[in-house]
Amino acid sequence: MKAISELNFPEGVYYTEDHEWAQARNGSVRIGISDYAQDQLGDIVFVELPAMGAAFKKGAAFGSVESVKAVSELYMPVAGKVTAVNTGLEAAPEKVNQTPYGDGWMIDIQPGDPSEIQALLSREAYLEKLKGQS
Amino acid sequence: MEVPVKKTALHAWHRAHGANMSTFGGYEMPLWYSSAKNEHLSVLTAAGLFDTSHMAALLLDGRGAHGLLQAAFTQDLDACIGAGRAPLSAGRCVYGAFLNDDGHVVDDSIVYKLAAGNYMVVVNAGMGPVVARLLEDQREGREAHLQDLSDRLGKIDLQGPLSAKILGRLVRDPDRAFGRLPYFAFRGHFDPAAPGADPVVLRNGAAVLLSRTGYTGEFGFEIFLDPSKVVDTWELILEAGRAAGLMPCGLAARDSLRAGAVLPLSHQDIGPWPFVRHPWRFALPWSGESGAFTKTFRGAAALLGRTQAESTYAFIGQDPRKVSTAEPTVVLNGQGRAIGRVLTCVTDMGIGLVGERVVSIASPDKPEGFVPKGLCCGFVKVAEPLQPGDRIRIQDSRRTLEVRIVNDIRPDRTARKAIADML
Repeated sequence: MKAISELNFPEGVYYTEDHEWAQARNGSVRIGISDYAQDQLGDIVFVELPAMGAAFKKGAAFGSVESVKAVSELYMPVAGKVTAVNTGLEAAPEKVNQTPYGDGWMIDIQPGDPSEIQALLSREAYLEKLKGQS
Repeated sequence: MEVPVKKTALHAWHRAHGANMSTFGGYEMPLWYSSAKNEHLSVLTAAGLFDTSHMAALLLDGRGAHGLLQAAFTQDLDACIGAGRAPLSAGRCVYGAFLNDDGHVVDDSIVYKLAAGNYMVVVNAGMGPVVARLLEDQREGREAHLQDLSDRLGKIDLQGPLSAKILGRLVRDPDRAFGRLPYFAFRGHFDPAAPGADPVVLRNGAAVLLSRTGYTGEFGFEIFLDPSKVVDTWELILEAGRAAGLMPCGLAARDSLRAGAVLPLSHQDIGPWPFVRHPWRFALPWSGESGAFTKTFRGAAALLGRTQAESTYAFIGQDPRKVSTAEPTVVLNGQGRAIGRVLTCVTDMGIGLVGERVVSIASPDKPEGFVPKGLCCGFVKVAEPLQPGDRIRIQDSRRTLEVRIVNDIRPDRTARKAIADML
């Protein structure tokens, strides 16, 4: 397990207390899990994602990641409808470990309220949370 | 009362090398270092090194030691080696269990015959005093001196097909150390001063008891030695195996490897229920005639008299998804009726399905370009008899998975290979 200082938390991305990230991209929002989350989970061996078009409320479980250790729910950072699913994770779930903010992304959504993302944790606020936990 | 967590001699090494630590059997142990998956795969394709100093060991010696083990242990020491059921001889060891009067498992164990009237009994973490008490209770005046070596004996497991090649570079006289050393045989002693000890000595001067056993289903060794030599020996072996792909491995890989090898975890797959109707028939002294044992021992009457016991089976799933045994689970039969619960459910990351066939990354005839995705596997305990091939469903609060009952899980394991073929 890595120290917080060894983990990567990019700017321009919002975070949740459940360790998802959300990034606004030309009207849609891309969602994945943070470097801290993948490090805590260990090797990810399976990712279950929703179907295109599925709609979820903020905080609803939209899928799960399965690591060697456990199965963890994925929660919606903001409400919205799924417009893209990273099907590449079916064959290569380890991408979530390798590049959690890149090829390890999970879904794109059309947000119900585009301003909702701004209520999530900033990089600094998320780092404060993590330091409080460890 | 707060019980302080125990540490092995390698605890600081694990921490310094970034291990993800967790408490197991009262010890803080590494779950994995950088990747449990890569650690698991390394044991199938190269070798892995495990800190197993948390395990406990007892020494039992005296004229009554044999009789005491015959009364308390499930294996018949007079008829347990090979298909011919030869007696346990010096330099050989055998797997079995210690039961209570109800036939329930107190712990499982490997019993080593060091010399006539001199045995080492290796049990699980924290179980030294429990098994020592069980043996004391059955002493009945026998002359048998019992010594608990818990925390006074170090243990390192080197497992995987390249284990002998790696260790061969470190043993002072490899021809003598490895000669005629079949599966479940051992050589040497962790105490060079022990009478009659036939020493196996490593390059760093460590005297070791080298045992052709392990908990992964793969070829390799369990190495018993003085705790003061553990860190130095650990680093020596890692260095010798680095170029060959040897990795330090944590308990997560150990758990997934042993489940794929259809080996039980004590207190999880075997425990406070009758030790019958399970995949480990070889741990009981069945005689040729059905429903009889070759000796009497504690718990035997309860096992033979039982007609309603539940059955334990191995299963394999269709993909890496698991159910969580940290919460209540249900096993559903083909008709959808609840018939039991899941004991172990892990992902063996070294195997995958090719059509209907289970293939391992170590299978000699695996298809070209085969990359295992991992398959969920483990054990269920159910109230009705099932057959290999039967499809059942296992369920936790999150999901229901279809799995099938099998006799074996990970194919092409190497544990029983001749040492001459592995050098």
